[in-house]
Amino acid sequence: MAMNLNTASASELPPRSTRGMAGWMHANLFSSRFNSILTVAFGAALAAALWFGLRWIFLAADWTLISTLGGRFIIGQYNAESACPGSNCFWRPQAVLLLFTVLMGMAWGITGRGVMKQVAIATAAAAAAFTFLPYSLDRMGLDVRLLLVANLLALAVGWGLARYTPLGTARRTAILGGSAFLLALVLLRGLPGVPGLQPVSVIYWGGLMLNLLLAVSGIMFSLPIGIALALGRRGQLPVVKLLCVAFIEIFRGVPLITLLFMSQVLVPLAFPENFPQDSLFRAAVVITLFSAAYMAENIRGGLQALHPGQVEAARALGLPSWQTTLLISLPQAIRNVIPAIVGQFISLFKDTSLVYIIGMLDVVEIGRSFIQGNTEFLDNALELFVFLALVFWVFTYTMSYVSRRIERNLGVGER
Amino acid sequence: MTTIEEPADIEIEVEDIIVCRDLHKWYGDFHALRGITTTIKRGEVVVAFGPSGSGKSTFIRTINKLEEHQRGDIIVNGIELTNDVRNIDAIRRDVGMVFQSFNLFPHLTVMSNITLAPIKVRKMPAARAKDNALELLKRVGIAEQSDKYPNELSGGQQQRVAIARALAMQPNIMLFDEPTSALDPEMIKEVLDVMRELVTSGMTMIVVSHEMGFAKQVANRMMMFDAGLIVEEGPPEQIFEAPKSDRTKLFLSQIL
Repeated sequence: MAMNLNTASASELPPRSTRGMAGWMHANLFSSRFNSILTVAFGAALAAALWFGLRWIFLAADWTLISTLGGRFIIGQYNAESACPGSNCFWRPQAVLLLFTVLMGMAWGITGRGVMKQVAIATAAAAAAFTFLPYSLDRMGLDVRLLLVANLLALAVGWGLARYTPLGTARRTAILGGSAFLLALVLLRGLPGVPGLQPVSVIYWGGLMLNLLLAVSGIMFSLPIGIALALGRRGQLPVVKLLCVAFIEIFRGVPLITLLFMSQVLVPLAFPENFPQDSLFRAAVVITLFSAAYMAENIRGGLQALHPGQVEAARALGLPSWQTTLLISLPQAIRNVIPAIVGQFISLFKDTSLVYIIGMLDVVEIGRSFIQGNTEFLDNALELFVFLALVFWVFTYTMSYVSRRIERNLGVGER
Repeated sequence: MTTIEEPADIEIEVEDIIVCRDLHKWYGDFHALRGITTTIKRGEVVVAFGPSGSGKSTFIRTINKLEEHQRGDIIVNGIELTNDVRNIDAIRRDVGMVFQSFNLFPHLTVMSNITLAPIKVRKMPAARAKDNALELLKRVGIAEQSDKYPNELSGGQQQRVAIARALAMQPNIMLFDEPTSALDPEMIKEVLDVMRELVTSGMTMIVVSHEMGFAKQVANRMMMFDAGLIVEEGPPEQIFEAPKSDRTKLFLSQIL
């Protein structure tokens, strides 16, 4: 009789898994005496941290500092009487937010059910939710509150633009995004002689708005500059290569805080005397270049990891070298280093708070200087920094979440 | 004894498409090609073989200048290979290449892999490039995979896409650098079948391969490489039945 080892139907099923809560706990938490001790010890520590943490947040902490500063966390001194005398300028940062929401809506409209949809809805919903804050956000009247609710409308407008007009392509939206950034700067800075757009000096720009402006300009410009530097460093032209290496090594070798300080002296020298520039512009330039130096090395790493056969195949097809770089090498290199690029963006965003060194009031410095000037809040520093940590975490976590989703969609790491 | 049918109609048009004279190539101090002189005629199918490091891959890679030769001349399709970028690009448009490791572009779909060069280099309208690509995919037997990404295909399918990608540029010459060495045995046949079909279409081909059955069947000429030289060349019946060189005898006895 022939033996057939493969026909038993029971053997076609995978081994029974340890199902159920008890089974899972036994396998993962209490599999040995030592693991049981670890589980109990860490469980106790976690419970204690939660107990004391929550008790502090809801009972002991005094959050009046946060509500007192209110809108100043968001826009700094922008709407102070000295910055915007005789009128209310709060609507201008809000218009910028509306522009941003329209763009997010467009990104949602283009990408469909992707991560952009979640981020777009979250942005508009968070902005609209601010309407219902029980206290005033720095001279916050009904008009200001209505503008916040308008973010929901802006989201819908953006989505509609992307879906039902010829603007709904990634390239056109990117161009619109660049234009919106310039428009935002004009809106915030103001135009002399235009009613309602009285100039607001950048020394009054502050709060989260300042951090975000620096971060957005840094992200927008450091990636292309970084790519150019990486290509220059890998290229065949000795002088270009030397310049790129020198740039990268100099900007990576000096702490950002030093660069920011030096920018007060060095950057003005690089431009004509009557060139319109200010501390914010200088800070943006330094942060961008600093980040670009790191970006260049990230991209270079991605280029070096490419299989040389990719370039050979492209060259063998007759693609000239610039097209090989643009269409074959760079897209693959950038994909492979998305985690490092996003890490750099996150680091850039957090670094924007270093502009306090050149006297700018970013969201951290707003709080810190307020405590310094109002000694009755000296005991509330902990509340302040817990709040600031939460604010930064919300933004950085969003970036890292978006990056993870993009990586998954592109199938990075599956090759 | 099997008789090999010469595709007689190909031999009629006697025209030299690749001419190499005293070709030398060094990698640092290593003398990889030590004076290759040979002429390949239009429509000829040449199989190059020999031990690893013997220079056979280097030889075909010099023909489209993926490797630069340091001495000697190569004339491809009437164009001399110099350092002139326009010449190099012109020759690369005429010479298709298939690699051992396929080298498909992983970030592009099968369709885009094939249409990229015709659109960007030959300035072909996208719609026509797409039609051509579908035609080629049918020819290599995987038309239904055009929207997939390369890593979703088997090795044999990837290599067939790579062949279609090279053919999309409508080359006069096809170079194959060990096209089946990275494949499982059952996939080797599907790739060789495509190459056989290409032979009947009259394509000039240089194939670096140790698929001796394939060589016996389709090659007009075989070249045995050793230590940077062609130690023996001739029709398959000569190479297999009556090799002149001891080196060829020894090598064939080891691989057959």
